[in-house]
Amino acid sequence: MRLSSSLIGAAIAVLGCASAWADGQVPMMDHEKPVSCARDTKGKVWRIQCDQAAKVCLYAANDELDSEGDRVKPLERARDCAFDAPVDRVKLEADGFTFLPARADAPWGWTRDERGRVFQVNFDLHNRIYFGAGYTPRYILDNPFQSKRTSIDFGFLSFDVLDGPTRHRFRFVQGQVHMEPFSAEMVLAHYDVSHRFTDPLLRITTFVGEPQRHDLRLNLGMWDEAGGLELHRTERGNAQLWKHASAAITLDLWQSANLDSYVRLRTGLGLEGQHDDVQGYHSALTASSALEIDTVLDHAGFHNLRFEFVHELPHYFTQIGDNTGKFATRLRARVQYEAIVLAINDQPVSLKIAAGGEKRDDIPGIPNQWAFVADAGLRFSLWAPPRSRL
Amino acid sequence: MLAATAATAHADTCTGVTDEGAKFETCFDLGNRVSVTAGSDGFGGGIQLRQLVKFDDDPDLNWKLEHDFATLERASLKGEVDAAVYNGRFLRHTRDGHIVLPGMGTPRKVFLPFDIGAVVEAGRVTVRNDMASGNRIQVGMIKTAPVVDLWRSRDFRRRLVFGPVARWDIGLSRDPVAISRHIVAPFSMGMASFHLESHDGLLAFDVGVEGGSAWTSDRKWTPLVQGSASIERIVLAINERPIALLVGIKYDSEFNETIARVGARIVLFHVADSRVAHL
Repeated sequence: MRLSSSLIGAAIAVLGCASAWADGQVPMMDHEKPVSCARDTKGKVWRIQCDQAAKVCLYAANDELDSEGDRVKPLERARDCAFDAPVDRVKLEADGFTFLPARADAPWGWTRDERGRVFQVNFDLHNRIYFGAGYTPRYILDNPFQSKRTSIDFGFLSFDVLDGPTRHRFRFVQGQVHMEPFSAEMVLAHYDVSHRFTDPLLRITTFVGEPQRHDLRLNLGMWDEAGGLELHRTERGNAQLWKHASAAITLDLWQSANLDSYVRLRTGLGLEGQHDDVQGYHSALTASSALEIDTVLDHAGFHNLRFEFVHELPHYFTQIGDNTGKFATRLRARVQYEAIVLAINDQPVSLKIAAGGEKRDDIPGIPNQWAFVADAGLRFSLWAPPRSRL
Repeated sequence: MLAATAATAHADTCTGVTDEGAKFETCFDLGNRVSVTAGSDGFGGGIQLRQLVKFDDDPDLNWKLEHDFATLERASLKGEVDAAVYNGRFLRHTRDGHIVLPGMGTPRKVFLPFDIGAVVEAGRVTVRNDMASGNRIQVGMIKTAPVVDLWRSRDFRRRLVFGPVARWDIGLSRDPVAISRHIVAPFSMGMASFHLESHDGLLAFDVGVEGGSAWTSDRKWTPLVQGSASIERIVLAINERPIALLVGIKYDSEFNETIARVGARIVLFHVADSRVAHL
């Protein structure tokens, strides 16, 4: 082992200065570049990563440290380091290299504190199990402010599969329940897919000035849901809306590089059945159209924004009332912002703020006018791995 | 003498050996099995699966996933039923628990002495026929609880978890079947659960308590309490399929009932404990 004594001395000095690392200014090794390991005269292993271009070598203990600077356990999530390339600090310094204390490397989406402890700092909220609670006051235009309304929401399993230019999105058992007055909605299974077509549908070339080509892509996709359920409790009794299955075609107006953010239009048909205490059971074929925005606002996945405006037109197979007849209308708009505020054991807790409005004439007892709802609450998510690096 | 020595030598590895040299299992995995039960309160059955997810780049981390599918806890001759489509317990075990505060600059890490996870239940069905309990059907649409495990373990043999509970149940009336009420607990209930298995899997002990206030669409806020305790002891195995004695008691304020149980569990299929030598 040719690790020089000067390196050992510098390394030991680092231990004494561990508290000074807390300012976050200590550089961090690159997880994608090779790391060498060397053992000092006391047998302790050090990680060393040299940048040949910048002539800088970073070094760090190969173990986690306790508050006293003593080594307590092996590093987690650090790349393997090789002992086969001896480190000669004297020779490297003679060649112009500078040695700097550093934090050991951590994989994408993770970082390390001054003691070498690793933790996640990048979260993909499209891959998770979540549940939360919120305060959801509702304002109906001619009704007083209903201040007792609280809600819970849940998503049993959400995950995306990125397969080249295609992203498949799966959502299972997602929904929310509101109290006072009661309402609930849940979807058992949801699947949609976005695809980026490399060949443009139309190539438009302009010849005014310098000839230029403009590609028009038609990024079509698919959207499906099965097992949707809405429950409402009104002055005229209970109403259940079973959305058996829905299918739609989507057109992505904008896609992010990794397809996890989009602006899209969708339109399609669904089969539903409604049961209420006034009109009994009746089925409908429902045409629906929507504008949807789902975007991750920052690289680390801490800020997430969703918007949807949905227009649904149930066409009942039988006439169900003097006012509604065979047709009804449902309009719904909702915007939601979700931000991660902390993580417990690398599982994020997020703040959700949402607002929305709804106007519908399909359920007896719900006035055919806009009702607005605001929502603020906390969500706890499990899993939430780091986002794709794309 | 040689056979007796061999049997002793293999006892610690969960594989017993008869005087004739035949091998048999002496340890059992209680989490991977298909079983039926019969007892003083009725019959039942279910499918249990356990998954231990490990990570090569972080050997101090694993996910302990337990799934119970199509669990019929009991179906009595009176037509009473307790069943659930799915029960899941997900615990993320790390050697060091911690909390990360993103802050405005460099994220900070503060250590906490527990694992975290979640308990999820979907599709619970409770049917009662006697007038005292309301002659009704109750469907648990979803129940979930973020939990902390104070008795951290890398395996499934022990846990002591606490957490707030969110649940949504629907009460159904009969003739005609219609929704009669909703029960919603927006994390206004709490749960505690204790589980302990012996090293050889022959004995398991469970205690669970859940209580707090829930909003109901007829009585508004009302206190609810549930509690249960059970012991399972494997007493024999036929063709390596264990048969266990069950003793338990369960209380539910919602139905105003306390049910004691003595019965047996017969395992139809199971995954052999990993410590058992190939027979």
